[in-house]
Amino acid sequence: MTPIHTKPHSDTSPPRLTLGIREWLVTLLLVLPIVMFTPSLWKKFEQYSTPPDYRLPYELSKDYGLYERAMDRLQPTQIPMLGDSVVWGEYVSRDGTLSHFLNNLSDESDRYVNAGVNGLFPIALEGLIRQYGGAIHNRKVILHYNLLWMSSPEADLSSPKEQKFNHPRLVPQFTTKIPCYRASFNDRASIVVTREIPFFSWNGHIRNTYFEQKNLHSWTLADDGGYPPSYPNAMAAPWKQITFQIPGEPENDPGRGLNSPRHKAWSSTGVGTQQFEWVPPEQALQQQAFRHLVNLLCERGNDVFVIIGPFNTHIMAPENLSGFTAGLAAIRDWLDAQEIPNLPCATLESALYGDASHPLTEGYRQLASEIWSSSQFHDWLVRH
Amino acid sequence: MLFHTWTFAAFVAVALLGFFALRPTRFWLLWLFLASYVFYGCWNPYYLILILYSTTMDYNVVGFMDRCPRSGGHRFQFSHLRGTEISSPRLRLAYWGFIAAAMACLAASVVNFGNLRPMMLWLCLILSLMAMGVAFSSRKTWLVVSLINNLSLLAFFKYAGFFSEAINRLFARAGAPFQLPEAAALMPTGFEYLLPVGISFFMFQSMSYTIDFYRGEIDRERSFIRFATFVAFFPQLVAGPIERASHLLPQFHSRPQVTGPDLSEGLSLFLVGLFKKLALANYLSIYVERIYDDPSAHNAPALLLATFAFAWQIYFDFSGYTDMARGVARWFGFRLMLNFNHPYLAASLGEFWSRWHISLSTWFRDYVYIPLGGNRRGSWLTYRNLLITFVISGFWHGAAWTFLIWGALHGIGILLTRRLERADWYHTNLPKPIKQIAVFLFVSFAWIFFRADSLETAATIIKRIGTTQWTDPGCPGLMLALIGAVWGYQFLSESRYQGILQWPATRITLATGMIVYLLLFSSKGGEFIYFQF
Repeated sequence: MTPIHTKPHSDTSPPRLTLGIREWLVTLLLVLPIVMFTPSLWKKFEQYSTPPDYRLPYELSKDYGLYERAMDRLQPTQIPMLGDSVVWGEYVSRDGTLSHFLNNLSDESDRYVNAGVNGLFPIALEGLIRQYGGAIHNRKVILHYNLLWMSSPEADLSSPKEQKFNHPRLVPQFTTKIPCYRASFNDRASIVVTREIPFFSWNGHIRNTYFEQKNLHSWTLADDGGYPPSYPNAMAAPWKQITFQIPGEPENDPGRGLNSPRHKAWSSTGVGTQQFEWVPPEQALQQQAFRHLVNLLCERGNDVFVIIGPFNTHIMAPENLSGFTAGLAAIRDWLDAQEIPNLPCATLESALYGDASHPLTEGYRQLASEIWSSSQFHDWLVRH
Repeated sequence: MLFHTWTFAAFVAVALLGFFALRPTRFWLLWLFLASYVFYGCWNPYYLILILYSTTMDYNVVGFMDRCPRSGGHRFQFSHLRGTEISSPRLRLAYWGFIAAAMACLAASVVNFGNLRPMMLWLCLILSLMAMGVAFSSRKTWLVVSLINNLSLLAFFKYAGFFSEAINRLFARAGAPFQLPEAAALMPTGFEYLLPVGISFFMFQSMSYTIDFYRGEIDRERSFIRFATFVAFFPQLVAGPIERASHLLPQFHSRPQVTGPDLSEGLSLFLVGLFKKLALANYLSIYVERIYDDPSAHNAPALLLATFAFAWQIYFDFSGYTDMARGVARWFGFRLMLNFNHPYLAASLGEFWSRWHISLSTWFRDYVYIPLGGNRRGSWLTYRNLLITFVISGFWHGAAWTFLIWGALHGIGILLTRRLERADWYHTNLPKPIKQIAVFLFVSFAWIFFRADSLETAATIIKRIGTTQWTDPGCPGLMLALIGAVWGYQFLSESRYQGILQWPATRITLATGMIVYLLLFSSKGGEFIYFQF
């Protein structure tokens, strides 16, 4: 503002960081290998243990790269069980899941693999398998179908009102219209880039695994300046967080398992009056996505067996059952038409449900017995 | 549409493709104009009405000014208002057209359809002034039209709330039975009262054109599209640099030559800007926000560090934007002026202002400080002029007492140090780093007022810095290391060892480091601070 020292219209300046074309090419040659090879090199150094009954830890539910890695490790004889939190086991510990009881019944400790992800729904499951599930091609696959996702326009994501939902990074960004999904072009493009470039998935994995799903910058400032800091490494040495060891599930998860206060029946009376706003099957986005998923698996050479339910029909008012049965009939008809073996599970006792769709430990045990005793399932198991 | 988003990446890719496709034809300028309007319309389509209006007015004002004699025009006489002195039939038509339009606006304001009365009265005033400009054939009147038009729009959108609130407070204290209406109540029905993004930037740019033409420093731009592209050129539209017509307009006259170095240097500028914004400014903002949002909960070290962090945050944020703007412009073959030149290496406040927001500093120097008399009328008037200029500069940043005090502090700082800086002993005996640190401390102190949301908050921060205990500020080492690295780089770049930074190996290493850092750690989102001005 003062007349001294000023050079108003000049665009000259002291030496700046400017690169010529050749220097840019060299920079590119240095950056490209880092971007291309870091994710695969990282896997060699990072310890990842997947013991029998392994399931993706709840905290890492959004680490889709890790899911891909888990699927990469499947042995040829192993059968992944794909689905949402019903397969994953919302209220139960990892030795109380459907895959665990099926393993028990089959006398093989790790044939059935829990490949469920908490918070998933058919549209997201399709995205997950399309993008990160390439490793499970040409093998037998058990696929779970949960009618809960058609129980209202909100659950079906077909409601026109904007809503937040789990796993938005797995839903189609530009190809299929999801009425309630109103992300900006920028967010959608960012998701697509992250999905398509493994480096960014790996970067997400680092954040999820070591930095509590936060960006490094946010993480170093995450404890709100408390003293002593909640994160002892945040101030001086954030890199110490990177232990090269992917955490498993906690041994005693207070939120899950027989001793958890959450592990209890949905109702003491066992009588429900819930009125679901069932979405007609032909309009349900989730059912369409599920059909696409089945087709995708078949195209990839998978031999698919579909388990439907068991939905907690006790929770519904009797007059609300018709919507449920219509949805069930529709998916069964379609699966039969495609010659996909399927098993609609019988409704369990009311006390064996934690909510509308998640069984408790004993529920899973009974469900596994029902599946194991089914001739369809055994026919499917032995067929080539 | 922020520079660091995929939306902008897609936009600029389309804009570049179209530009290169149309460059051999005469439509490249039209394409740039359309791209700039699409860019601005993406913020809010209503903004386009304002920028188009302001551009059209200044374009035509200069057109009319061009028809006036350079030697002053007619003296004021009521007889001229009859229009009989106007020799040109076209000008006579324009004169009566302005009179008729002014009367129509007056009539419309009586009807007040759709709450249009305030706008119609204002238009009536502008049109009457325009009629006078024709009647008296006076360049000065046309300049006044441009200034009133631009400054009243700026005042309405930016300052009306502040003034009406302050005046109403005075009325209430005096027990007056009436209150001024809120600014929002003056908007036509259906239009929201919003501060249009970048209004201060494009209006200053447009005004500089009329003032420079009035002074005879530039020629009239005859192409409306060229002038509109100059005002709205998208890389610098919303936060500068505030370009001068003499620098940017000639670049739109011939087909731009885009060379390899333009592309690579543009990319370099963009990378540096992106790094400043995403790796540095956004990181610092988390710490600053935490402390400044609740200063009573923090002690002296945290408040001090947050103040220093804000000094760097605003520098990284604003200069990062400018770097990206300059980089994008280079891809199209245009050179925008340098806006920041390592301001925290300044060894005096005067030097700081020749390194910080250079396009605004020089604007105020040329259009406020020098017209006030500059330093030509003795010390006291120079001091007065400096103080007025800095207070106006503070007020330009926003309608709040905190900005006024920030500007006044800089003005007072310059007054107090002006003689000192010219003293021989100061030049020879005091080591430069001490002067640089002193300037940084003063500038940081002034930033407290700039950043605080009220005078009370600023007072709390200053008081707590002086009185509270020294406890752990909870500042991550990574943040300090990043600031240290940048400061070190800047010191080196102005030292005798600056050659090290020109080694290809150094530059490649730095660029690679920045890219990898951005890919790994960049903080998402965040608007640029200067968009609010």
